[in-house]
Amino acid sequence: MAPFDPRSLYEWLTDRVSPRTRRNLRSELDSSLLAKLGVGILIVVLVSAVFAPLIAPWNPTAQTLDDKQQPPLGFSRAETQVSQEMVDGEVQIVEETEYIDATVAHPLGTDALGQDMLSRVIYGARTSLLVGVLGTVLAMAIGVPIGLISGYYKGRVDDALMRIADVSLAFPSLVLAIALVGLFGQATVNVPDPFVTSGLSEFLRGLVSLPGGLSYPPGMPETFALPGTVILVVGIVNWVWFARVARGEALGVSEEEYVTASKALGGSNRYVIRRHILPNSVTPILVLATIQIAAIILLESSLSFLGFSGANLSWGFDIAAGREYQTTAWWIAAMPGLAIVITVIGVNLVGDWLRDALDPSIEGEGGGV
Amino acid sequence: MEDILRVEGLSTRFFTSDAQVNAVESVSFDVRAGEILGIVGESGSGKSVTALSLIDLVDSPGEVTAGQLWLRNPPLAESYPEAAHEDGEFVDLRELPDRTRRSLRGPTFSTIFQDPMSSFNPSLTVGEQIAEAVEVQRRASATPRSTRSRTDGYGLGSYLLDGIVPGRAYTDDASHERAVELLEQVGIPDPDERAREYPHEFSGGMLQRAMIAQALAGEPDVLIADEPTTALDVTIQAQILELLREIQADRDMSVVLITHDLGVIARMCDRVAVMYAGEIVERGTLGDVFDDPVHPYTQGLIGSIPDLDDPRPRLQPIEGNVPSLRADEMGDRGYFADRCPKAMEACLDPQTERSCDDPEHAARCVLADDAYDPATALPDDYFEEGSDD
Repeated sequence: MAPFDPRSLYEWLTDRVSPRTRRNLRSELDSSLLAKLGVGILIVVLVSAVFAPLIAPWNPTAQTLDDKQQPPLGFSRAETQVSQEMVDGEVQIVEETEYIDATVAHPLGTDALGQDMLSRVIYGARTSLLVGVLGTVLAMAIGVPIGLISGYYKGRVDDALMRIADVSLAFPSLVLAIALVGLFGQATVNVPDPFVTSGLSEFLRGLVSLPGGLSYPPGMPETFALPGTVILVVGIVNWVWFARVARGEALGVSEEEYVTASKALGGSNRYVIRRHILPNSVTPILVLATIQIAAIILLESSLSFLGFSGANLSWGFDIAAGREYQTTAWWIAAMPGLAIVITVIGVNLVGDWLRDALDPSIEGEGGGV
Repeated sequence: MEDILRVEGLSTRFFTSDAQVNAVESVSFDVRAGEILGIVGESGSGKSVTALSLIDLVDSPGEVTAGQLWLRNPPLAESYPEAAHEDGEFVDLRELPDRTRRSLRGPTFSTIFQDPMSSFNPSLTVGEQIAEAVEVQRRASATPRSTRSRTDGYGLGSYLLDGIVPGRAYTDDASHERAVELLEQVGIPDPDERAREYPHEFSGGMLQRAMIAQALAGEPDVLIADEPTTALDVTIQAQILELLREIQADRDMSVVLITHDLGVIARMCDRVAVMYAGEIVERGTLGDVFDDPVHPYTQGLIGSIPDLDDPRPRLQPIEGNVPSLRADEMGDRGYFADRCPKAMEACLDPQTERSCDDPEHAARCVLADDAYDPATALPDDYFEEGSDD
């Protein structure tokens, strides 16, 4: 085998995308500030998720109760302690207010168990993105073939499949998800974290010296809990959207003359679907996929918030945990909430960018607005 | 010359929600080995539907409702005795299983469509698409045609792998070389380079050549050319027709050439069938039909060609319009009677095909074997609305 050459991989990758599409993607990115913002956000989230053990300052599950409920930088928290003291023979109630200041060690504060919020937010990106991407892939894998078959064969096949889709659509997705989690249980898969088990994270963290004599605390979780059931569930809940879009595309593309031409040259139905219908339906499916990633991240957070996911390092889970401290330590819920908002906006901006760049029907500046 | 295809009483109907449309009405003709048969008619006369019926590509709500399509193919006749003709040489295509019929597309029937621009998939290179046509045939000949689907071994898994694994593809190098060879044969300069281009980089004429190359990939016995030059400008038309003729002569193929252009028919065809309102109204050799037309419709068509040698001040149009093909509006009478300058009382009955003196020459018209009798002629306003009462 020839030695691996990263350039050939890049060439091969760009080969998959036509020069025109590449040009459109580039020019759309150059001209749109929002697209740049979205791509930037997504890169930050992606890097955080992948390299979490290298980036997170603390072990996100290490509890230090002495440091609990520390505020994020720029804020302080007042803790009032009420005690009774004997003064001149009378019992007096003394209120002592203690101000707890933020520390550099925990820039986003700590939660009720003294776990570092920044580290938890960084690790939470893993759960969200993994569920978002894998769930979308699963939904595509179910929905796209069903949609293509439905739109290509039309008639009774279409009717039957689309009635099933209608039934799925009629069900509120969160309720369906909860029912399915109840059915399958909360199967989480513990995936070993390669950065930690190989000792790479420990080694790299040892190299960094922080100012002020601080050192990175050692130890990171060795495994990462992948919420298997949740991925399955969001895939099953969201396939309908892909089926709908793929069907619509297939309905249109199957009327094209080259489909008839291909059949006239001996192509079977399956062959025509794969070689002609699918490649020409891919753009709207891709755009939908980005939107679905965002929707699935939200759904995952909702499920975690309600305690159905089984993942303990998840934004939704942290919001649920911070709910009781809303009045005294708002950041426990606010930080992961902010992370969700920013990520979802970022993914949507990337989706907009793809749509503008890939959809020739709205080519040109701003679709005539 | 012997027949390769005999069509007997083919009828194709479209069943829409509010009407039944009789697009093709008991059409009979035959195609002989190595000839060019022209089918000519106005728009909506059923030419294209006839062609699509031959290769079983009439889409719902259309359906072939009657007739036999006899194809000369003794091996098939042997494997499908229930579909075979008693002479053991011909099989009825309509009696064959769908899968077997599909396997005939490519090696037996190949088709060229009207608009080359829309007949290529814009997301694949031209070379790839021709190579795939080659590959489909190669795989099909590697597996027995009656038992396996032709594109078996190409499941969704293979498709996804093709997208992911570099260098893996449905087609192999041999098919690509064959594709380039085919492009060269149809006169595309620099075929190696052109094969790597996408359809939008081709001109219309070039694409039509590429489509002919694609149709030749299966080495067809019968090439169905459905208005192959309509979308092209006149100079390119001439080149494409020349190319079709050359290829036909080289390979000794049969060509069914469908067009509305009598000029194209006159220059290309050995025999002609004229269609009107879903029926073949007249058929015969080129000489019979052009020089000695029997049916007034054919006469009208030929009379409407501008003639340089005989500059009459006005061309002779055919009065009236093509009738509706809806079953509830067609009625039973000879469909052309209301436009016919020689309509007689006998024309009010449905017409069957009658042979003229020459057995090759037949017309669906009373005049084929009776002379025009002015005594029974219908008055001019006979078909006009309200004239019955």
